[in-house]
Amino acid sequence: MTGAPRILLAAVCWLGLVLLASARAEDFAPVLEGRQLFFPADHGAHPEQRTEWWYITGWLTDEQGRERGVQVTFFRVGTGIGADNPSRFAPRQLILAHAAIADPDTGHLRHAEQVERALDPLAGATVGQTRAWIDDWSLTLEDGAYRTRIRADDFDLDLTLTPDGPPRLNGREGFSQKTPDPANASFYYSRPQLAVSGRLRLANADRTVTGRAWLDHEWSSEILPEEAQGWDWIGINLDDGGSLMAFRMRRRDGSTLWAGGTLQQGEQPTQILSPDQVRFLPGRRWQSPRTGADYPVEWRIEIAGRRLSLRPLMDDQELDGRRSTGVVYWEGAARLFEAGREIGRGYLEMTGYWRRPLGL
Amino acid sequence: MLTIENLTKRFDTTFDRPLFEQVSLTLAAGESVAIMGESGVGKSTLLNCIAGLESVDGGRIRLCETDLTTLDEDGFARLRRRDFGFVFQAFHLLPHLTLAQNVALPLWLLDRDDRTADARARVMLERVGLAPRADDWPRHLSGGEMQRVAIARALVHEPALVLCDEPTGNLDPGRAAGVLELLFERIQAAGAVAILVTHSVVAAGHADRILHLTQGGLIAAPVAA
Amino acid sequence: MNATLRHVFLASLWRRRLATSLSLLAIALGVALGLAVQLIHAAALDEFGRGIRLLNGAADLQVLGSRAGFSDELYARLALRPEVDQASPLLEVETRLPARDETLRILGIDLFRIGAVTPSLLPVGANPDEAAPAAGDRLDALQSDALFLSPAASARLALKPGDRLRVQVGTRERILRIAGTVPAAGVGQALAVMDIAAAQQTFERIGQLTRVDLRLAPGVTRALAQTRLAALLPPGVSVLTPDDAASEVLGLSRAYRVNLTMLAAIALLTGGFLVFSTQLLAVVRRRQEFAFLRALGLDRGSLWRGLLAEGAVLGLIGGLLGGLLAYLLTALAFAVIGGDLGAGFFRGIAPQVRFEPVLTLIYLALGVFAGLGGAWLPAREAARMVPARGLRAGDEAEVYRARPRWGMALGALLLAALICLLPPIAEVPVFGYLAVLLILAGAILSLPGATVAAMATLRPGRSTLWRLARTRLAAAPGQTVVAGAGVVASVALAVSMAIMVDSFRGSVDDWLTRMLPADLYLRASDATASGYLDPESVARVAALPGVAAVRPVRFETLRLGETGGAIALIARQVDAGGGLPLVAGTLQPPTGPDQPHPAWISEAMADHLRLGVGDPLSLPLGARSQPFRVAGIWRDYARQQGSVVIEIADYRALTGDPRTNDLGLTLTAGTAPEPVMTAIRATLGEQLSEMILPGTLRAMILGVFDRTFLVTYLMEAVAVLIGLFGIGTTFAALATSRRKEFGILRHLGLRRRQIGALLATEAALSAAVGVVIGLLAGGAIALVLIEVINRQSFHWSMDLQLPVGLLLIFSLSLILLAALAARLSGAQAMRQDAVLAVREDW
Repeated sequence: MTGAPRILLAAVCWLGLVLLASARAEDFAPVLEGRQLFFPADHGAHPEQRTEWWYITGWLTDEQGRERGVQVTFFRVGTGIGADNPSRFAPRQLILAHAAIADPDTGHLRHAEQVERALDPLAGATVGQTRAWIDDWSLTLEDGAYRTRIRADDFDLDLTLTPDGPPRLNGREGFSQKTPDPANASFYYSRPQLAVSGRLRLANADRTVTGRAWLDHEWSSEILPEEAQGWDWIGINLDDGGSLMAFRMRRRDGSTLWAGGTLQQGEQPTQILSPDQVRFLPGRRWQSPRTGADYPVEWRIEIAGRRLSLRPLMDDQELDGRRSTGVVYWEGAARLFEAGREIGRGYLEMTGYWRRPLGL
Repeated sequence: MLTIENLTKRFDTTFDRPLFEQVSLTLAAGESVAIMGESGVGKSTLLNCIAGLESVDGGRIRLCETDLTTLDEDGFARLRRRDFGFVFQAFHLLPHLTLAQNVALPLWLLDRDDRTADARARVMLERVGLAPRADDWPRHLSGGEMQRVAIARALVHEPALVLCDEPTGNLDPGRAAGVLELLFERIQAAGAVAILVTHSVVAAGHADRILHLTQGGLIAAPVAA
Repeated sequence: MNATLRHVFLASLWRRRLATSLSLLAIALGVALGLAVQLIHAAALDEFGRGIRLLNGAADLQVLGSRAGFSDELYARLALRPEVDQASPLLEVETRLPARDETLRILGIDLFRIGAVTPSLLPVGANPDEAAPAAGDRLDALQSDALFLSPAASARLALKPGDRLRVQVGTRERILRIAGTVPAAGVGQALAVMDIAAAQQTFERIGQLTRVDLRLAPGVTRALAQTRLAALLPPGVSVLTPDDAASEVLGLSRAYRVNLTMLAAIALLTGGFLVFSTQLLAVVRRRQEFAFLRALGLDRGSLWRGLLAEGAVLGLIGGLLGGLLAYLLTALAFAVIGGDLGAGFFRGIAPQVRFEPVLTLIYLALGVFAGLGGAWLPAREAARMVPARGLRAGDEAEVYRARPRWGMALGALLLAALICLLPPIAEVPVFGYLAVLLILAGAILSLPGATVAAMATLRPGRSTLWRLARTRLAAAPGQTVVAGAGVVASVALAVSMAIMVDSFRGSVDDWLTRMLPADLYLRASDATASGYLDPESVARVAALPGVAAVRPVRFETLRLGETGGAIALIARQVDAGGGLPLVAGTLQPPTGPDQPHPAWISEAMADHLRLGVGDPLSLPLGARSQPFRVAGIWRDYARQQGSVVIEIADYRALTGDPRTNDLGLTLTAGTAPEPVMTAIRATLGEQLSEMILPGTLRAMILGVFDRTFLVTYLMEAVAVLIGLFGIGTTFAALATSRRKEFGILRHLGLRRRQIGALLATEAALSAAVGVVIGLLAGGAIALVLIEVINRQSFHWSMDLQLPVGLLLIFSLSLILLAALAARLSGAQAMRQDAVLAVREDW
């Protein structure tokens, strides 16, 4: 049970969805249960699958103790176009990159993005090792640590993210089902509890930052199923060193179509959550003054009978991509509470509140 | 009022012939004089010299204390505009102007406004008996009528001096008499000094004095026609 | 003075309505033609500039190659350079549209890159999401068949999103789908955009780019980047500023523009002459009136100003009429011939008529100037008159007592000859045009002397009329000046243009014979467009029955050096393929392994690069500089930017490019071309090839030639017409002012008809003198046009050719027409009652 649809949807949304009709699932290798994930090979790109991402979310603290959320994503999208085209420009694979800073001082997200066709040496995603880049934006895994560099108009990032253990496979050994139909699935693993150190340049001032982050690597060939309106997802680094990933797919009426998650607490073994072990109950809502979309920014979440609550770093963490990518969603830093006590920090993602991304 | 002293024009460049020397003449206010003489003696040239249309080789012309011989060309032109009236043998009506406009022409040259000029021209036309035809064209007029318009034009701006060159030369005797009568009547009414150059004894008879221009000068003795 | 000005001076224009309207017409036509040429070019240049700006966007530098392009490897290297902030690759293709008989400019772009440099070329899908316009369709835009049309292209091709468009590549067809529009391309730019990978694949240009647009990193100067990047580039690829790139095309059209402007100026000049004639005649006729006004006290200055005001008013009204007419002409020209007056400089743009206040005012001022200029001498003449003399009748002849001015005439001609030796200024043959003006001035100055001399050499003859006419002209040669100035000017210009165009046409005809030696020509498309013949097609055609031999020709463009535009490369058989119209050098250069390859360069290229026969020349072929030697210089009327011919065998060996643009076919003896054409169509496909017989091609090219000179012919006709009008009005006026003379002649026993004949004879004599001088001046001007103006503007030579028959017929008709015009316009004078005329002033 994983958040596989999230990738497909977001990545594909970035491109606008009319195109989905053109690239058929048959053009790509299906995601089948039983395939073992091997590392480090599976840290690299899987161009035989339609979409793939490396998704970093985390909390940063600067020298003054100021806390900010950070998100860096590299997408790879197979277009199904140009397979027969010997041109070096053939747009078989697109690379998209997205970065956002949630700064309570600003009150909304600063974000930037890039899109390029994979064209060595200008942009690409390497097979066999984590290396995705567009111009001077990059994400690599070298000597056991991730490093990402982003240079946007109003912020620069240079972060090193060191994992504390092996990749945590989501779903059934990394095979993550996303609807009642097992054909809708992805390969999905997470790297929680990444120790962050590095530099953030914001408002023309360099800050040394530290923090905790989370990396998802997921790849699939499927698209958002017809009956789904969107999803809600959380990825939380627990204070006890564990991690919680949970998601649910929503129907158009708001009811849950499918849910799932992965919970690891302290030294206990990893627990794969079945759909009936995950409940997302919306709480306080916030309406975006820009788009009018109405988001439940606070949640009550029930995981295997435990009652948790989730509160955002700030309300306005909506990503308004109408002028650039055409996608509007909420992706923000959040704190997780149990019995009034903070037990972890991570990210909340909510899609399908402005408009169903996969148009009819 | 008009004094001519020893006026000399030795050579007529137009016709390449010698002309008069030492011509003197004085005219009092309101006085008219007729100048007669044989063809080629320079009657018209004398008139042109007085009007500043031709240069002179010597002598002086004074009009009301102004020494005309000291004037430059433009000064003379201004003087002619203001103080001179002309009646020509060939009428010289501008064919494209109406009678009223022809009469108004000297006033235009004096920069009078159109309406004043027109009103004044119509008064003048009435005085020469052509008021009803003020808006007619010169080509519809007989010779006598044309000359009456020319008389109105010569006097419309109340000149101090009126120069007439064979005013009846192009008219038959019957018409001529009427025109002459009118001419002198109007000149007297205006109180202007008039010089009339003519072959015609009848015409000359209308003037206060008759002089003969010869190679030697002006001779005042009347000569029988 | 106001009332006087109105009633005496300006009203006089109304009185002589015929003469006035002819002067107005002449000035109006001159202003209209000149302004229209300027308006058309202003609009075309404007639109062209807009296109350049649109296509250049915010590029700081452009890396440009030949039409064939350069390796796209270069792109990534450029994009990664520290000097470069953004690099945007482009592949520009002019595609042939089969069955439409036109081409479309398609730009292959990287839509992820184009936004940073040329956002106006961003394609937009057919159904943009209104709430999120940028969302998308990006993948659709990447599809290999997705084509986005600019509004102008969409209108021209009558295609909307969802429609299909067939394009030609080589001798094959591809079908593209109209996926959307390029909304920001502006209304005047007919172009299409598609993904660069799709363009490379569709048009078989894998691995090639024609351009990379660069935006420089902050703080890097253009000059610095230009020097550093130039070092990376292979031969034949240049890095230019967008302005350099644009000026290449503008420079080409400038010569043509200046030429047309000068022709229009000459029409205006003729208008000025006509004002001079009519004003001078009016002054003569109004001599007595002016004398009388002077007597009434009108001073000299007022008279002078009044007459100048007449000319100025003529010029002003003519200018206003001409301005109106110019805008109408411009609209008409855009509707009928397009924005380049038929010369083909600006393809794919649709300019709009716009009000140009400055240009309009300038031409209005020129109209007034022509009117003033024409009235100047007559006004001076009138102001100089001694009033006492003017009051007397019968001295009009005085005015016509013009003095011969041989000295000044000779001086003008000498000066003209001298300044012809000077080089052009900024590629414009300024001194050539000045020489034309000086020759005209010299010709008119020599008119009085020539009239006197001509009358002296004519035998007195027995006929009274002949004697009268001869003596009149000898005594009053000024009359010829008045009647003849316009004639001389218009004849000289018409004759010079006739000689120049005839020489040009003859030389082009010759050139075509040399350039088209085969029996039949085959091509897949125009050489600039996307069609070509591959070796297999050539072989199939060569194998067809009836085909004795084939001669392939390959057209390409080359960039030599950092500056200067792209020149044309023509690879063909040279000596074995019909030769070349050489002006220097040889078709059989020495051959041998150590000899550089021979190249034959056009005159334009020889001028631009200052090359002579035997000079070494290196040409960038196959991304390398290859050594060549200039074996000859040839005449090329087709490519003003310069061209070089090399052996096709050399070309193929050096580049490995096997394609053929044009294929010349020699047929076996006795084979008719039609069955071969049918066979070729069956082999290559119905609509994918164009075939033409040399005869038809020649007719077509000469047709284009004639169309190009259509504007010139029109202006010539106008000038001659104005000249004839001039004779008509002159003699009408002369007849009126000489009524008394004719009255006396009637008294002396001449009959009315004889008076008419007298006028006609005088007119014919005047016209004859004018025509002869016009012919001589025209010949001289033709020489200047051919040897100075054409050489300097277009860099091509031509063989002087005299259309003797045409000139003879033209001259005789002009003399006859002049006689007729005088006879007709003098009719009024002959109806005049003789008695009245004489009596009027006795």
